[in-house]
Amino acid sequence: MGNRDDEYDYLFKVVLIGDSGVGKSNLLSRFTRNEFNLESKSTIGVEFATRSIEVDGKTIKAQIWDTAGQERYRAITSAYYRGAVGALLVYDIAKLLTYNNVERWLKELRDHADQNIVIMLVGNKSDLRHLRSVPTEEAKAFAEKEGLSFIETSALDSTNVETAFHNILTEIYRIVSRQQLPDTGTNEPPGGKTITVEPTEETNRSTNNCCAR
Amino acid sequence: MQSVDPQNGRTFWKKSNKVPGGMRAVYGAMHPPITRSPRSSPRKEAGPRKAETNDSFQEFQESVNDAWDCGDDEFCVISDVKISSRLVQSAALSVINSHRSSQLMTSTPPSILPELHHHHHHHYQRSHSPPPPPQPPHMEEEEEEEEMEYPHCSPGFDEENLPLSRLDPSAVIVPRAPVIAASDSERDMARTEKFLEVINRANTSLPELRKLSWSGIPTRVRAVAWRLLNGYLPANSERREETLRRKREEYWSFVDQYYGTRHEDLHQDTFRQIHIDIPRMSPLIPLFQQGTVQEMFERILYIWAIRHPASGYVQGINDLVTPFFIVFLHEVVPREESLDTYEVELIAAEQRAVVEADSFWCMSKLLDGIQDNYTFAQPGIQSKVQQLGELMKRIDVNLHQHLARQEIDYLQFSFRWFNNLLMREMPLGCTVRLWDTLHAEPDGFSHFVLYVCAAFLTYFSHHLMAQRDFQVSQGCSYYLESIFTPVIRGSCRPPVSSDALAIQGRVDGQGMWVFLGHSTVQKGFGFLRGSNSGHRERQSETLTTLLPPPLLC
Repeated sequence: MGNRDDEYDYLFKVVLIGDSGVGKSNLLSRFTRNEFNLESKSTIGVEFATRSIEVDGKTIKAQIWDTAGQERYRAITSAYYRGAVGALLVYDIAKLLTYNNVERWLKELRDHADQNIVIMLVGNKSDLRHLRSVPTEEAKAFAEKEGLSFIETSALDSTNVETAFHNILTEIYRIVSRQQLPDTGTNEPPGGKTITVEPTEETNRSTNNCCAR
Repeated sequence: MQSVDPQNGRTFWKKSNKVPGGMRAVYGAMHPPITRSPRSSPRKEAGPRKAETNDSFQEFQESVNDAWDCGDDEFCVISDVKISSRLVQSAALSVINSHRSSQLMTSTPPSILPELHHHHHHHYQRSHSPPPPPQPPHMEEEEEEEEMEYPHCSPGFDEENLPLSRLDPSAVIVPRAPVIAASDSERDMARTEKFLEVINRANTSLPELRKLSWSGIPTRVRAVAWRLLNGYLPANSERREETLRRKREEYWSFVDQYYGTRHEDLHQDTFRQIHIDIPRMSPLIPLFQQGTVQEMFERILYIWAIRHPASGYVQGINDLVTPFFIVFLHEVVPREESLDTYEVELIAAEQRAVVEADSFWCMSKLLDGIQDNYTFAQPGIQSKVQQLGELMKRIDVNLHQHLARQEIDYLQFSFRWFNNLLMREMPLGCTVRLWDTLHAEPDGFSHFVLYVCAAFLTYFSHHLMAQRDFQVSQGCSYYLESIFTPVIRGSCRPPVSSDALAIQGRVDGQGMWVFLGHSTVQKGFGFLRGSNSGHRERQSETLTTLLPPPLLC
């Protein structure tokens, strides 16, 4: 932080997805406003908030899109996956079902998002130790198998929230700054202009003949 | 009538296939296309009309700006919500004091069955059942009637809209004591009498009731009026009791039949979703944290979802039960009790059963008219989002372009407005008041709400225009909320006492008037504001240019 809102080197769009009630909105509010609200209402459609962080002396502005978890909203929310360079796929460590649904969410991302999107699996509500139903090791192993990074967080007590966002943004930054060299020959946009990662157009995407039910 | 203009054959509303909300194609989705479909595409009004649009509307708007000062409707006196809270407070206190004496004079609580006095007015035509379908607003036959039933407001505040009365649902967020009963003014009593007279006829005239209801329904008769306007209660008073008995029994037979299935594999996802949404729908109102109340909502929503598999339960539908629930609960909670903390367990089981069944049926009726809001890909909402963009382009092109420059999709902020019928944007008391009007409008929930949303935007236009960098400085929704909330609530500070709460609630009501008044002007219906007959012709012209056809066939 510490930068003016409109000064940044990179603008990254990141989506928050996962089942209803796993704490996506509170992860967002904890990260962007350092707030947690036990009485938060369900998210309808999509909402977003932003925050800037520093990586390697560069200001990275994260534009984070929070999505409704309910299946009915996917037609709306999946439209917002496009252009996203990162995704936090959130489940609730105390609700096994939300973890079991992670595979469906991955498929959702593969169907609708850029294929190079950086995905982080996030086990939220780590403060609910006595209610844990998803072992850390199991989730970690799953993440490795799927090529995702992994972290457990608690939006309630702030554990790892900062780290989670920092890690995924850094990872994106590394990829983007590496990609830029062959593209333009310069890695520095003049005047701190926006750089967004344009998604590669997915012309050869696998057949989308699934109806979403 | 609405049709495609035969002369140039083009549709008025829609030319480009680009959706104003900026929706992009949805991959792999089997759903109605996001671009307009013939059914949802607004068509042009037939008849001679020049191609000019924005300019003439702006002219029109300027020409009717004086309507704000006419004093022929309540909102006029509060057309500027930037009334200082001190002024509001002192005025409110004076009203409260002047009516405190009448506070003791309580009126009888309305019967759940509105069969009080059945005046048989034989000049009313024999009953038709079901009640006549709502007509498009511009075809309303009462259009020619100049004499409106609306009481003229005098300068000062309109007690009827104070959420101070016992039955005003604002009391849900505003403790009623110690300022209840200020609404038992003569004027309020007169209005209530007028409603009762219409309601208790052998055959209630729904157009007449709509006309009365548009500018707000007195709290004492609101529950009955809503049941009638909603189509749940027959207009024929002889059929009412039997219908209610039958429908209530039917609901409870549904519960017996279906509720046991909620943990079965097929339905457990639905029930789980409902179960996690209920506690967080109105989290700050203690009433909704009561187990009894949550179970009532769970049953209502689950039964509805099971019986409507095409949409099923969709988040947001839960919000639509709340106003009905509050209004019907109000009928059975003892007057002196504060509704937001009242222990619902204390109400007799039969009465609770009535509240639940009536909430179910009224919510079902409402959803019948907007079901495409919740079916797959939510085409009803998408088309309204699109129409909102089109409407804004015509009535506030500067704001429209500003939003476009800022790359703000209408979808980003207005999706939720339509999905939850603005309930997230307004305090509950305001919503209840808004619903008086939406109930009074034919197609209010599917159609008129669009204008209310447009009024929202134009009302806040100058705030929004001042915002330069939505996308990067903060979230659009958060930003819009940060503008709306203090203005609608009438105060930027959280209230500190029950008096302040009451006053805040009162300003809520005023804010509502502004929006409704604003939407009235935009829609330009002279017939609802009959005393502005001088503007009749121009308004008619505007009607034809501004009114998209009903969204639903």
